[in-house]
Amino acid sequence: MSTLHVLSHSPFTDSRLSSCLRLLGTEDALLLCGDAVYAVQPHSLPCDALEQQHARLSLFILDEDLQARGLECPDWATRVDYATFVELSLRYTKVNTWL
Amino acid sequence: MLQSLLIISRQAPWSGPGAREALDIALAGGAFDLPIGLLFMDDGVFQLMPGQNAGALQQKDLTANLQALSLFGVEDLFACKDSLADRAILPAGLDAETIKVLPADEIGALIDRYDQVITL
Amino acid sequence: MKFAIALYSAPHAPSSRRALRFAQAVLASGHEIVRLFFYQDGVHSASNSIVTPQDEQDTAQQWSDFVNEHKLDGIVCIAAALRRGVLNHEEAQRYQRPAANLDAPWELSGLGQLHDAVQAADRLICFGGP
Repeated sequence: MSTLHVLSHSPFTDSRLSSCLRLLGTEDALLLCGDAVYAVQPHSLPCDALEQQHARLSLFILDEDLQARGLECPDWATRVDYATFVELSLRYTKVNTWL
Repeated sequence: MLQSLLIISRQAPWSGPGAREALDIALAGGAFDLPIGLLFMDDGVFQLMPGQNAGALQQKDLTANLQALSLFGVEDLFACKDSLADRAILPAGLDAETIKVLPADEIGALIDRYDQVITL
Repeated sequence: MKFAIALYSAPHAPSSRRALRFAQAVLASGHEIVRLFFYQDGVHSASNSIVTPQDEQDTAQQWSDFVNEHKLDGIVCIAAALRRGVLNHEEAQRYQRPAANLDAPWELSGLGQLHDAVQAADRLICFGGP
C-alpha cells in the first residue's frame, strides 16, 4: 500500500507540509502544486528540510506551478505535467489531497 | 467488496462549516453501511474538547453530530496523539472507549488500511 | 481505470482550474470519470452566474463545457449548495428565491452520491484549497 500526498498550500504560512512529513511512509510520495511549490525556494527552511530527506523521499512537482513562480526543479525532485499526475495517481494505491 | 474510506478532519469546529461538512461525509457513509474511519488531526482535535459552548456564537452544537457517529455505525474513530500534545490537550479528557489515540508515525499505517482517503 | 473526482473550491481558486486540467488529462489518457462531485465551496464552480473579465479564464464555464462535451455525471451537493446560494430552478422556487444559478449539465443531489462514486471508482481524487 502506498499513498500519493498532494499539497497546494504555501509551507511558509501553513502547517500541512510538516504534518504530512510526520506521517509520510517509505512507500509514499509527495506531489507539490500551487503555492506548495514555494517549498523548493532555494536555501529556504522548507527546501533545506526536504533536501535533507531526499534520499528517502519521492518528490514530484507540478511543472506549470514551478514555471509560473519562476522556480527551478531541484535535481532531487521530478517535475510532472498533468498526464504524469494522472499516471502517478494510479501508480500509488491512493491519493490524499490535503484540502 | 466495499471500498473503505478514511476521513481526516483537520479543521477546528469554529472556522466555518468545514468541520461539520467533514462529519457529514462520515455520517452519510455510515447511513449507507459503508466502512468509514474518522481521524481527528491538527486543529481537528479541537472538535474533541470538552466544555464548548456553541450558543455563544449562535451556532449549532457539533458534539451532537459527534455523538451521532456511533448511531450511524461509524465506530472507527481516531485522534492524532502528536496533534493533541502540540495543543496541550490531555487524551484523558477524551472518551478513550470510543476514540483511539495514535502517534503520528502510526497514522501512515492507518491510512494504508483504507482504500480511499479524504482530508478536509 | 475509473476515477471519481471531488472538488471543494470555488472557480476563482487555482485548485478548481487544476482539477479541470487533471480531469481533462484523465480522459486524454483513456481513463473514465465515473462522477464529478462538487462539495463545500466547490458548489460555486458549478454556478452559471459568474461573470469574469473577458481577458480572464472563466473556469466555471469551462467546467460546464467539459461536462457537456463528455456527457459526464456532474453532481453538486445539495446541502452545501443551498447553504451557499447555489440553486437550480426547482430549489429557487421551493425557497422563494429570485433567481436560479445552476442548471444542466449539473444536478443537485446528496452526499450519498459521493460515497456511491467512491464505491464505483478505482481512485478518488480530491481538489481544493488554493
